[in-house]
Amino acid sequence: MSTQILSRRHFLKSSALVGGGVVVAVTLPGCSFDGELPIDAADAALVPNAFLQITPDNKIVFYCPADEMGQGIRTGLATVIGEELDCHPSNMTVEAAGSHEDYNNPEFGLQLTGGSSAVRVFYEPLRQVGADTRALILAAAARDLGIPAAQLSTDNGHVIAGDQRYPYGDFVATAATLEMPTETPVKDASAFKYIGTHFARIDAEAKATGTASFGIDVDLPDMVYAVVLRSPVAGAKAVRFDDEAARRQPGVQTIVPVSSGIAVVADSYWQANQAAKKLTVEWEDVALTAVDSTRVRADLSAALDADDGVEAASEGDFEAGLAAAANTQSAEYFAPFLAHAPMEPVNATLRIEGDRADLWTGVQVVGAAQGLLERLTGLPRENIRVHNQYLGGGFGRRATLTHVVEVTEIAMATGKPVQVLWSREDDLRHGVYRPASLMRLEAGIDADGKVTAWQAQRAGGNVTPETLENALPALLPSMPEGLLGGLHGAVDFIFGNWAVDHPSVEGLYETYSMPTHTITHTTVDHGLPLTFWRSVGHSYSGFAVESMMDELAVSAGLDPVALRLKNLEDKPRMRRVVQRAGELMAAMEVPEGHHLGFASHSSFFTDVAEIAEVSVTDGKIRVHKVTCVVDCGTAINPDTVRAQLEGGVMFALTAALYGEIDLDKGAVVQSNFHDYPILRMDEAPAIEIDIIDNGTAPTGIGEPGVPPLAPAVANAVFRATGQRLRELPLRLA
Amino acid sequence: MIEFMLNGEQVTFNGDPETPLLWVIRDSFKLKGSKFGCGAGLCGACTMHLDGTAMKTCVLPIAAVAGKTVTTIEGLGTPDSMHPLQQAWVEHNVPQCGYCQSGQIMTAAALLAASPDASEADIDTAMAGNICRCGCYPRIKGAIQSVATHTLGYDAMAEEVAS
Repeated sequence: MSTQILSRRHFLKSSALVGGGVVVAVTLPGCSFDGELPIDAADAALVPNAFLQITPDNKIVFYCPADEMGQGIRTGLATVIGEELDCHPSNMTVEAAGSHEDYNNPEFGLQLTGGSSAVRVFYEPLRQVGADTRALILAAAARDLGIPAAQLSTDNGHVIAGDQRYPYGDFVATAATLEMPTETPVKDASAFKYIGTHFARIDAEAKATGTASFGIDVDLPDMVYAVVLRSPVAGAKAVRFDDEAARRQPGVQTIVPVSSGIAVVADSYWQANQAAKKLTVEWEDVALTAVDSTRVRADLSAALDADDGVEAASEGDFEAGLAAAANTQSAEYFAPFLAHAPMEPVNATLRIEGDRADLWTGVQVVGAAQGLLERLTGLPRENIRVHNQYLGGGFGRRATLTHVVEVTEIAMATGKPVQVLWSREDDLRHGVYRPASLMRLEAGIDADGKVTAWQAQRAGGNVTPETLENALPALLPSMPEGLLGGLHGAVDFIFGNWAVDHPSVEGLYETYSMPTHTITHTTVDHGLPLTFWRSVGHSYSGFAVESMMDELAVSAGLDPVALRLKNLEDKPRMRRVVQRAGELMAAMEVPEGHHLGFASHSSFFTDVAEIAEVSVTDGKIRVHKVTCVVDCGTAINPDTVRAQLEGGVMFALTAALYGEIDLDKGAVVQSNFHDYPILRMDEAPAIEIDIIDNGTAPTGIGEPGVPPLAPAVANAVFRATGQRLRELPLRLA
Repeated sequence: MIEFMLNGEQVTFNGDPETPLLWVIRDSFKLKGSKFGCGAGLCGACTMHLDGTAMKTCVLPIAAVAGKTVTTIEGLGTPDSMHPLQQAWVEHNVPQCGYCQSGQIMTAAALLAASPDASEADIDTAMAGNICRCGCYPRIKGAIQSVATHTLGYDAMAEEVAS
């Protein structure tokens, strides 16, 4: 992944303008799109850049460039910009940014929320925006008050002059006439007022009172509702359909074929949903129709047996390392397909009026949604607004835009404002999935536990080609379909034959210093749509690697924590995390019949160790408590760090105990929460979190809590039962 | 025509009597705080109070509501006048994505109205029908316990049940 540090100039290219009208970004050479900022400026308001608006009555609006799906990013980035602007995050109005390249994730070059990246990549740029904007306000205040700027200070959205407090809003008219300061020095961490402190999430009140608006809550005058009947087997098109009975159902307005199936449009969701059950559709057969879970597993095994994977990473002489080992182990680990199952099923609401389109939805790819609308409607991009709502869970699911395609096709066919809503059955059966993975590991350690040889072979599908296939039409709205098809084919070929898709193998060795390692990959693609699922490749590689580390320790009679420390000698940050976790584990008082399991894993630049306290009764695994130690650099909102680890543990525990998407004749078997169970309160472990914060730059926190959990539980189950469980979900013999 | 009490007001519904209460509340009465999660009574995102009892409303035909009293999250408290549980939710920073929280709070409010001194086991049992995919369970439990042991909570909840 390329790392690109965004210049301040890029971020602050919009000149300071007084609002009341449109806000126009200054065009820089080389930019593909430089339309109006998607900001509705209040009368006489200051819009100094894409991220802020300050009104004369001192309403300070922050346009958050990352999508809020529960990870606390609106609070987090408001804290970052508020720290330097000097305004408490709770006193800012935080809104979802519309689509504009100024909001692109600087690392991805796209307006994408994912990869546990938002705080890490926006930390420096947004501090700079905050500091420069504060300097602008101070310069305006100095002019208006006739007091040198050096004699002024600020406090929580106010300029302080002696014993007088003036709201920032008092100075916006003058500020708009001034040159925007650049490269204003940012604070030293010792001067932080908001970063690292505890306060309520800015969306807590709305979410506790049912007033937070999710995509599903958008309600337009004269809106109709659509339910789409899709093929049980992904990718199969309708050959013919009979809609006579469905058309006679109450409230049905029309029935239109769309690219993903047959859409029933009615006066209400309930009516559309009932009528859709009366449709009969004949679907074409596709290759996936011949696939079931047993075959998936057999194909993955055969692929590894062929032993001809593409090399993803290799260093040192594996055979020599193995020969030098005092102890060797080899084992095979399996992880199944999984669905994200966010609580809010995906949905989208679209109104096309004249040459303007407005989309309300909750997605992790706002820019791509706009590009998709541009491609499908032919409207100019600047006439398309995306109003991103709160996301009722993301986990990677909301980076795929099938529902946006559907709503656009239906709105164009009906000429009416439309809401498309998926049912839970649609969500589980027609979604995009975490790829099933089979991993064979072989490793050797010397007498002290130092790894002398490490080999990991993985077989399974890749997430990048599928994701690109979904994203390219949106990212390249003017590229003709024929060329796009060629591009998709090329991407599939590249990752299928000679390049390794990084997420397919990430985490298979990187946590530790393993000078002698060989990582290979074989693509096995059955045609089930695949995508990112919270912690992506780490969600299965962490299970394999941390189970193997435990197997090595057990077989050599070494302490599992000591074994890990032995292999972290030049990874000081993770070494500290493992050390701390080991101390906590040693001090634990474990009740009779309970057993501890340990695992540690680095992902998204963050180091995490987890200790699971587990008992096994009558073949049932019960996780009583999970202790997490984390180093994610500066904890912007420590309580959010805790919440994300708590949530990551629960999410991972659901997968470890229950998570499984099965295929039968190419169709997903599971359909709702009775056969795709989610952990419930009475099964939830107590969680303790220990944050190590040495003031380094912040790193990811949304995903890194997930990978160590399953192996920590499996390692504890081994101690409880003597059974080494190498397949997810964990099932005792 | 089906008549019922909704958040203290008499209302009528003229549509299909089989329509689940959830969709009547969301689409006809435009109260969007109660959520659709599974359509099968499995997740609890749609929980409201029917005559003071927590009910999953995505599978409850509106016909069954005739003459009864329905309370939704909007009727429990507002941002300006929050129910003690809603205050506790904010104080404990409970929500992540927030989508399930209306249902969680409604289930918890019915529990504490019936058993103000609910034990941890009582809470586990009562809340087992409400899924939180973000995994906010420790905070949900903590928030409920803080109200269950908080005198202020009892009176406010007694009022809500009486209304």
